[in-house]
Amino acid sequence: MAIRVNPKLIEDIEQYGAEEVSNCYHCGNCSAVCPHSADPFIFPRRSMRTLQMGLESKLRSSLEPWLCYYCGQCSEQCPREAEPGETMMSLRRWLTSRYDFTAISHLFYRSWKAEVVAIVAMALLTGLGFALYGFSSGDINTYDGPTAFLQSPAVHVFDWTMAGVLTLLLLVNSARMWWFTVGSRTDIRVPLLSYVKRAVSLPSHFFTQKRYAQCGEKGPWLVHLVLMLSYVMMFTLIMFFLHEVQAGPGINWNVHAFGYIASVGLIGATVVMLRGRLKKSRPGNKHSHETDWIFLVLLLYVAVTGVTQHVLHRTGFDLAANIAYLAHMMGVVPMLVLEVPFGKWSHLAYRPLAMFFSELVADALRENARVTTQVGIGSPQPARV
Amino acid sequence: MEELRIGVYVCNCGTNIAKVVDCDAVCEMAGKLPHVAVARSYKYMCSTPGQEMIVQDIKEQNLNRVVVAACSPRMHERTFRKALQTAGLNQYFFEMANIREQCSWVHDDAEGTTRKAEALARGAVYRVACHEPLEKLSVDMCPSTLVIGGGIAGLTAALELAEAGHPVHLVERTERLGGNLARVDLTAPYLDSATDLLIDRITRVRESPAIKVHLSSELKELSGFVGNFEALIGPATNGGQPTTEGRRVGVGSVVVCTGYKEFDASRITHFGYGKLPNVVTSFELEAMLKAGRIEMKDGRTPQYFAIVHCVGSRSREFHGYCSRVCCMTALKYAHEIKSSIPKAYVSDLYIDMHAFGKGHEEFYRQSSEAKTLFLMYDKNEHPVIKRAGPKDDCDMLIEVNEKLSGEVIEIPADMVILMVGMEARPDSGQVARLVNISQDKEGWFIESHPKLDPVATTTEGVFIAGTCAAPKDIPDSVAQARAAAARILAKIARQKIEIDAVFAQVDEDHCSGCRVCNELCPYSAIEFDEKTRHSRVNSALCKACGACVAACPSGVIKARHFSDRQILAQIEGILS
Amino acid sequence: MKIGVFLCHSGPDSINYESVANYARNLPEVDLVRDIGPRPKPDPNLLAEEIRVRQLDRIVLGASSPGRLKPAFTRAMALAGRDPTEVRLASFREHGGGGANLTERAKAIVACASRGVPFSLAAVTELMPVNHATLIVGAGVGGIQAALEIADAGEKVYLVERTGTIGGHMAMFDKTFPTLDCAACILTPKMVAVGQHESIELLTYSEVQQITGEPGAYKATILKKARRVDPKACVSCGVCAEVCPTRVPSEFDCGIAERRAVYMPFPQAVPNVFLVDEASCTYVQSGGKKCGACAKKCPKGCINLDEADGTIEVEVGNVILATGYDVLDARRIEGYGCGKLPNVLTSLEFERLTNASGPTGGRIVMKTKQYNKRRKVDEWVLSADGEPPRSVAIIHCVGSRDSRYNAYCSRVCCMYSLKFAHLVKEKIEGAECYEFYIDMRAFGKGYEEFAERIKSEGAFVVRGRTATVTERDGQMYVKGEDMLRDSVVEFPVDMVILAIGLVPATGTRELAAMLRVPVEHDGWFQELNYNGDPTETERGGVFVAGACHAPKDIPDTVAQASAVAAGVLKSISRGKTVSSRADVNLSSVEARAKTLQVQ
Repeated sequence: MAIRVNPKLIEDIEQYGAEEVSNCYHCGNCSAVCPHSADPFIFPRRSMRTLQMGLESKLRSSLEPWLCYYCGQCSEQCPREAEPGETMMSLRRWLTSRYDFTAISHLFYRSWKAEVVAIVAMALLTGLGFALYGFSSGDINTYDGPTAFLQSPAVHVFDWTMAGVLTLLLLVNSARMWWFTVGSRTDIRVPLLSYVKRAVSLPSHFFTQKRYAQCGEKGPWLVHLVLMLSYVMMFTLIMFFLHEVQAGPGINWNVHAFGYIASVGLIGATVVMLRGRLKKSRPGNKHSHETDWIFLVLLLYVAVTGVTQHVLHRTGFDLAANIAYLAHMMGVVPMLVLEVPFGKWSHLAYRPLAMFFSELVADALRENARVTTQVGIGSPQPARV
Repeated sequence: MEELRIGVYVCNCGTNIAKVVDCDAVCEMAGKLPHVAVARSYKYMCSTPGQEMIVQDIKEQNLNRVVVAACSPRMHERTFRKALQTAGLNQYFFEMANIREQCSWVHDDAEGTTRKAEALARGAVYRVACHEPLEKLSVDMCPSTLVIGGGIAGLTAALELAEAGHPVHLVERTERLGGNLARVDLTAPYLDSATDLLIDRITRVRESPAIKVHLSSELKELSGFVGNFEALIGPATNGGQPTTEGRRVGVGSVVVCTGYKEFDASRITHFGYGKLPNVVTSFELEAMLKAGRIEMKDGRTPQYFAIVHCVGSRSREFHGYCSRVCCMTALKYAHEIKSSIPKAYVSDLYIDMHAFGKGHEEFYRQSSEAKTLFLMYDKNEHPVIKRAGPKDDCDMLIEVNEKLSGEVIEIPADMVILMVGMEARPDSGQVARLVNISQDKEGWFIESHPKLDPVATTTEGVFIAGTCAAPKDIPDSVAQARAAAARILAKIARQKIEIDAVFAQVDEDHCSGCRVCNELCPYSAIEFDEKTRHSRVNSALCKACGACVAACPSGVIKARHFSDRQILAQIEGILS
Repeated sequence: MKIGVFLCHSGPDSINYESVANYARNLPEVDLVRDIGPRPKPDPNLLAEEIRVRQLDRIVLGASSPGRLKPAFTRAMALAGRDPTEVRLASFREHGGGGANLTERAKAIVACASRGVPFSLAAVTELMPVNHATLIVGAGVGGIQAALEIADAGEKVYLVERTGTIGGHMAMFDKTFPTLDCAACILTPKMVAVGQHESIELLTYSEVQQITGEPGAYKATILKKARRVDPKACVSCGVCAEVCPTRVPSEFDCGIAERRAVYMPFPQAVPNVFLVDEASCTYVQSGGKKCGACAKKCPKGCINLDEADGTIEVEVGNVILATGYDVLDARRIEGYGCGKLPNVLTSLEFERLTNASGPTGGRIVMKTKQYNKRRKVDEWVLSADGEPPRSVAIIHCVGSRDSRYNAYCSRVCCMYSLKFAHLVKEKIEGAECYEFYIDMRAFGKGYEEFAERIKSEGAFVVRGRTATVTERDGQMYVKGEDMLRDSVVEFPVDMVILAIGLVPATGTRELAAMLRVPVEHDGWFQELNYNGDPTETERGGVFVAGACHAPKDIPDTVAQASAVAAGVLKSISRGKTVSSRADVNLSSVEARAKTLQVQ
């Protein structure tokens, strides 16, 4: 059955960044220089083709965009400045908005103004909420203890509820991702067993991001890894040891030490990344979508306010600490609520999932190839015309 | 008579001959033959040192006959005859043995091939011994020219000659000048105005006193030979009954610029041309663009356009060749459509994008940037156009196997443009017969050498230019037309035409007047004298093919340079 | 009649659009003049509205190439119910843009368009008396063809060639597509004819230094570089070369073979005499202190190593530029290992390798390591007894169709690459041959058939440009995407041939400046009018032929060369030649346009 070409789709996806894709005349350079492009996932050319032709269902079910880390070799090698790397980036944004069952991320990616408004609103709401709670039950001049302005148990409960809701949203989106990329595919069958067999790849990719390391230069991978690990570390501290973290003024090294490491990691990495994007140092940094900026700025803000309130508290300025804490929360909540399910943050989940799924799909395809001894995939010999 | 002193020269042609034939052996053998004074072998006989070697030997060894065993006489006979002339020897005291095309290129058994080469060389030596001195004749060159076809090529050729001050008869079958170009508005890749180009040319032709334009007329017959043709120009009958009334004009040369005809799209069924209302040919779209109304048959403005390349070209069933201009024209249409309907979507189905010329690749890129959707299909498969369903937002769907994605896709289309290729005009055979030039299997006229002589033909004084020789774009047609003019200008400047001394002669005293030869002569070089009841060969027309010589029942026709004596001697040489 | 003039500033900045607009305002019947900026996207519906309101009967579009905008305006006219054919183009590029005095010309072009008269018709330049002699720069097949055409008409030709012999690139080729007849076989007769022709004065090893004067009467100063061998006396016995101790890479063999300091480019060279290359000659470099062996040994005593350069002046009526092309320096392209990997050859090097008169006598072999005693280093050399490659990859579009190098297509590569595949298959039993291409551009007469034939001979064709050529433990690999099979392929190959693109010959820009002939942005000579006058230039009596105008194959070059001859012979037989377009004066164009309009 023939698939319908949709010349209009390209205009839609342009708003996600892919502006040069129509320049591509398919010399195939990019797919050959890409260190990750290998059977059965040949990209970026193939993805650009599907995009040019507007084969939406194909695009939606494609994992290739997640297998690309935008080292930018393809864009450098492109004879027609079609920016394959940027196209893959844009496709990741577009896919994120497809996975999201609410229309929110679709809105955010196409209008950064909307996103900013949402963030500000969410921040004010949070601020207002915590302020009311604080003044009702505590004292703005005390940071910890029973009369604390923001008491850790309450915050703890709040964190967990929020986390719960967000995780749920993210799970739904991830499920949709699975359905689009694996579940709904009719050409392949993935037996349960291989899910089990391949399950290990999820954590291994998540914690090492080893594929990223296969790109030409190692620097970007390192920074990215540091950011991610620091984030996870900080996340764990807050979700499980919030009390110890907040307790004070004495410093509990076997807890805070981790906090300090994570903070340094977070701030350091975000600053490096921002500098990179400002200086457009590598091809991967040349084109920055508004959402990239928002993500990094929010992250930096949260990290900085977090550190500030901590320092102020330890140095005995409880009032200031509480205000900083409030400001901190006003950053944390919007960041999580808006970025985790609808924004760039979600790639923290989608990427490892994509690796996982791609292995499943590859296995299934190999199985197909074995059964119907078809030579299509990775056949060494070209056609004899 | 003086004693014979024959020089034999064996060419290695780099390794072309030497790789199979043992040239030195051939040389040695030749050296032992009767009357042979010198026998040498050399890497490249055709090169200056090679020729100088011959000249020197003629002078120093006072040779009076020369044999060169090398490539085909078609290639270098002239070269070596020139050498003989420079040495002051009659150029017909020369014979060539073809030991490349007839030996080294067709056999690989060294031993046998060498024997064959020797035999051929021996034959040449025996033959050259019987050669007689012949002199070339020369006739006057008539300065006026007949140009057939009033398209861009014809107009250009006519102007070049007229502006040089020479009379031209421009014959155009239709009632107006301009040819196919008159149907075009803009030209790829710079989107210059074809209209302006034509107005310019036609006005200049009309203003030129030297050009006599014959509209609605055609060439009825052409007699005579280079420098002295007589053409009969009569009213065009367009394939009807050939008439012989008309005006006779004397011309020295003929330029054939009869152009092309577009491929008839209805011959291909799966495109539904003629059945589906909005499947149009490139020329039909051109007309719409000119009128500023790109509309479907029901008056709606189309949103989805699809352009299909290579319609009738590069195909097994129809024409194997590429029509050369369609790719660029397709890109031009893509641009024009988007320019006049900014909201339109254009898909372009191509096989290979032939954007080879000046400014072409840049134009292709601009088209990509303007979001033309380029889709590649295989030359051995073909898109199928069918009506869309009621739910679709388009009228037609084109189903095709897209090569760059490997997907079988269907493309929405409201209007489909078929880029019809070029083909030889149906009456090109008739023209070919009239002016006595040959055609290839596709019907295009054949040039005398595809590379180094693209405008001359096998008939001296008859030239071809433009798309009657093969598909071509405007600049190339113009260049060819001028090239033809250059040849003619050179001939006119020389005022005289040399005619080969090799031709058939009738011994009229013994001619029985049976007229067998008259019918036989492929160059209609033999006329019959009613008074004397004898046949006579027009030496200028005769190409010395020998048909009449062989056919003459009373054996009174002799071919100069191909006498029985010479031929028998050659055979004897080969067999001994 | 009400005329609307729309000006768009695309194209040369040397045009003062402001003053063109002001000029247009005062043209008769012009009702509206609008400047629509550099990159307009006109909307036909809005235009139609304006046309209706203003009741315009004719539109004049002024731009570098206004045709781009025309369809929108044509449709607008139709929508507005006016005559759609009344959209006239004032095209600045089409009429020799890039030349001198453009603003005035732009005005004239607009004036003509407003009267509905083609500029080329109104812009009749005055006729100047013409000198019968012709100067041809460059003696490749184009120059040779033009020279013969003109000389055969009995007119004087000065044929200037930079190198020691005529023949150009074609003389280096082995076989020619699509007929596969050997280049030497069809070219040498013409070379010989040029050498022998009484009307052709051959100036090899010479360069045009300066050209002054006006159309019809040019004066050229030509530098005759010291050949240091007396061409009249030399019998090309070759003794000098035998005794010459210096070995340098041979230009004619593209550096895959060596020549001596005193040498003859190739056996069939015309003139068939030796010359001394001062750059490598020990005697010349040492200021006459060292060596000089050749002069001592020459049996005819015709070598004068102290000979100095000379110049000669010629007066000519017409100048033909046939300077041809150079090939792109493939070492610029990283990733293909040219200059690093021994068996990565450029197409021109391969031509020499496979040529019967080449260093290996036509055997296709790989380079082998050899110890060079004089230089005391290992060298990769080609020798006739080398190993033939078992598999060869031919990479198309190297440096062509690529905005980083040449944006344009080099036109000939596809076909000669297919020819290479044929030669490899023919000469090496069972050799594999891979063609990596993007589009197979087989457009000419008999080309498509040729392509089919080569494919049927068993060459693999891979639709996808090779990305990289790498070497792992002594084995080369080419990697690329085979998109018709949807996979990334990597083949082990023994030899890689790069189909490198063509670039304008060195010195093209200088020559252009000297003659005041415009060049394109990518350096090729610009013709006067793409369609109508593909071989004329801005400058009267100066013509372009062959590849110096844009990449071209042999048939097209020959056709152009003959076409140029027509232009020259025409001017000679009428005794007059046209002056330069730049000298066209506005008022005369206006006047003529007016009279033409009346007719």
